[in-house]
Amino acid sequence: MAKASKRHALVIDSRKCLNCKACVVACRAENNVPLEFSRNWLNVELRGEYPRLLAICEPEQCHHCADPACVRVCPTGASFQRADGIVAINATECVGCRYCMIACPYNARFFRQDIGVVEKCDMCRKRVDRGEVPACVETCPSKVRVFGDINNPDSQVSQLLSRRQYRVKKPEAGTSPQIYYLL
Amino acid sequence: MKSIEWGFLIVSYLFLGGLSAGAFFASALATFLQHNGNRQLERIGRWGALLAPWPVSIGSTLLIFDLGNWYRFYKLFLHFRIVSPMSIGSWLLVLFTIVSLLYLWSWLDADDKRGLFAKIPRRLSVLQRYDYDLSPWRHHLAAIGFPLSICVGIYTGVLLGAVQSRPFWNTNLVAQLFLFSALSSGCAAIILALSLSKDTLSAEEFRFLYTMDIGLLVLEFFVVMPYVIHGELSVEAVKLSLGLILGGPFTIVFWVFVVGLGLLVPLTMEVWEMLPAVSGRGAIHYTKRMALSAAGLVLIGGFLLRYIFVFAGQRSSFP
Repeated sequence: MAKASKRHALVIDSRKCLNCKACVVACRAENNVPLEFSRNWLNVELRGEYPRLLAICEPEQCHHCADPACVRVCPTGASFQRADGIVAINATECVGCRYCMIACPYNARFFRQDIGVVEKCDMCRKRVDRGEVPACVETCPSKVRVFGDINNPDSQVSQLLSRRQYRVKKPEAGTSPQIYYLL
Repeated sequence: MKSIEWGFLIVSYLFLGGLSAGAFFASALATFLQHNGNRQLERIGRWGALLAPWPVSIGSTLLIFDLGNWYRFYKLFLHFRIVSPMSIGSWLLVLFTIVSLLYLWSWLDADDKRGLFAKIPRRLSVLQRYDYDLSPWRHHLAAIGFPLSICVGIYTGVLLGAVQSRPFWNTNLVAQLFLFSALSSGCAAIILALSLSKDTLSAEEFRFLYTMDIGLLVLEFFVVMPYVIHGELSVEAVKLSLGLILGGPFTIVFWVFVVGLGLLVPLTMEVWEMLPAVSGRGAIHYTKRMALSAAGLVLIGGFLLRYIFVFAGQRSSFP
């Protein structure tokens, strides 16, 4: 099979993360996310006791899986995958059955009771279409996040993935997640 | 951001859909077994046909009101997505409900229909012309609806089982479990209806219904056991999720109310009632009170089985 022309992915270097949450705020402002929800979030794990302490911060959001379970189970096709790999929701087609939320291994989706539809990170697809990077990537002060096309060997994400070790979360769920966490 | 998205509306729907499927299944089976003017099982066919369309209709209405945008439910029927169990299921429900309504019509005799048409106000008298006699089509409708009823019964399990991110559900056994439980609850509903009616069960009716229900309960038990044992011998995520019914918050409901009171107790009662018929010695131990208790327990157990699977399943995930 010929390689798709473009495949957007996110590479995350968690060790640079300061837990400043600027990405969460930028996303909220960019996508008008209501205060009680978040399209992206930080997993913070604290280990040990003072003075031997370790804080591990790890940003997470929709993994824009290559084989997304949410898209498969959607009865109306409201959840869909673009040719460039971005998984998004067509809000006018969503009936609000929440099957996709149950199918998502990452709990990346939330239900907007007020408008009766499901929402999640869409990798700022409008910005991406204009040639910009997602708001969370642009705003990150410590450059934790790198966005790009992994099918292009010269892109920064491809360069990082070819030189560094990485992992993806819950690969056993079988959805081929596309957020790569550098080790 | 983990939350319980599917609640009691979905639990009720899964139960009611299964109940209809089971009632239709038993009724169609009884209809198939009647030939050469033999009418011993006619009451089973009739009661099953009268019961079948209603629980599934109520259940589908609950489903629609569970949607975030209930008025958009028609969009489910603008698409058919073979990979989405919910899409397949919504089409199945519509087909099954239509066939079960036609089947019910085919069981109404002229008096029943005259009574119904007499209730129609004169302004709507145009409806009178729909007084078709479908009874010659009864066997055909039973034959069309029979596979549909099995599909509706199994689909509720497939809906849950086809989600790979919930280890509690993601096994092929859930489909079988829901199917057998659905068919047995339909059978129990007919036992309940016949036991509550004026005449008691005839020997043939008893033999048909009890053989069927005992068979289904045994099958159900032999799905529950491999489900638990295989799960315990499976990968970590599945083992962890089974912790929900093995020491976790659903343990008592599962073992005491579903497996005990909902499965083994009614099974023992029905076997005891049936025993003389099998051994050929003495009269069957059928009493109304016994039949009502066993059938009632089967129905409660079926409902609680759905409750546990819907709620525990949503709490399970990959660690």
